[in-house]
Amino acid sequence: MFWAFLFAFCSTIGFCILFHVPKKHIVSASFIGACGWLTYTYFIETGSGNITACFVGSCAVALFSELFSRAFKDAATIFIIPGILPLVPGANMYYTMLAILEGNSQETAAIGTETMLMAGAIAVALLAVASVIKLISQVGRNLLTWLR
Amino acid sequence: MINQIQKKVLILALRAGELMMKSGAEAYRVEDTITRICKACKIPYVEAFATPTGIFLSLDQGSEDSDMHTFIKRIKGTGIDLEKISQINHFSREFASTDLSIDAGLNRLKEIAAMKPYALLVRILGAALVSSFFALIFNGDYKDFFCSFFIGACSYVLSILLDKIDTNLFIRGFCCCALATFLALTCLSLGMGTDQNAIIIGSIMIFLPGVALTNAIRDTLAGDMLSGATKGIEAVIIAISLAAGVGVTIKLWTLLGGVF
Repeated sequence: MFWAFLFAFCSTIGFCILFHVPKKHIVSASFIGACGWLTYTYFIETGSGNITACFVGSCAVALFSELFSRAFKDAATIFIIPGILPLVPGANMYYTMLAILEGNSQETAAIGTETMLMAGAIAVALLAVASVIKLISQVGRNLLTWLR
Repeated sequence: MINQIQKKVLILALRAGELMMKSGAEAYRVEDTITRICKACKIPYVEAFATPTGIFLSLDQGSEDSDMHTFIKRIKGTGIDLEKISQINHFSREFASTDLSIDAGLNRLKEIAAMKPYALLVRILGAALVSSFFALIFNGDYKDFFCSFFIGACSYVLSILLDKIDTNLFIRGFCCCALATFLALTCLSLGMGTDQNAIIIGSIMIFLPGVALTNAIRDTLAGDMLSGATKGIEAVIIAISLAAGVGVTIKLWTLLGGVF
């Protein structure tokens, strides 16, 4: 577990450099990436499928990013973009290609569908967390004005 | 006749929007920024429409005899520069809350536009970090670590070179992944690496369309269907180009009798 965290942390630092994340946010953005990956591996090891694990991992990334963006008063994109990248199904894409090369159409369909569903899971997770947080902050604001 | 102040506001707002869009911001953030800047300059009627390929902006002073002005800014070329997005975000808030003059604002934007990404060597190191640690994540050993460190750096340099000569999205993804796969297979046949999958997955990780995917979702969520669809298509095309690059290289390698 520790190694997975460390590896994901280091590779997210790499993404932060490539996308020019402001220097003061590099550590926090890498932390988010590592947390997302850790959640993903935890769910894989406890026997969930790739898609579920990807969904929960992306939820963790999105949640942390929203929290950090409020704490540091900066755009959430700065944390989400490097954080989500380890979860993007590059490996599955590669295995799909291998299956195509082997001419194994059954496997191609299976892995290819899984790849697309994983990308979809990331999408749905980001969407869900962002909407829920927006909803909560709106309700909170309304409640405050109502109380006054 | 367009009055001079209005023209300057237009230039300022469009410049800010263009910079943000080129740095990979979401459409709603660009529209927000433009509207905030114009409102700060006391222009009551502002309508902004941003897409990844162009920004449309209409202004009206609101009085009976004033004209309405519309400007279009075509945006070419996109990259990702989160520092610029962060800076312009801060700038627009600052501009709206303090009474910074328009000229001072334009100067500030010029400074932001001139900001350089991290030094080339650092970026190459970053790319190498990404690929090498991903090789480890996908069960590579220390040999694969060094192989993909080298391959990641090489393919990133190629992508920078291809950027310089303005190739399109597809060609760039294809060439970089083809090179990465070729180097990976060479390393393997020379006995420098052990796990083919780990090395190749690590090396193509740099080029994955994660940003396009994330932004596509965030745009769609915000109701900007056009931007969402555009970025979504970008993500799909990049993914296809990467897969094609890897696939074609492996196929050629086996056809030409390489050690596969």
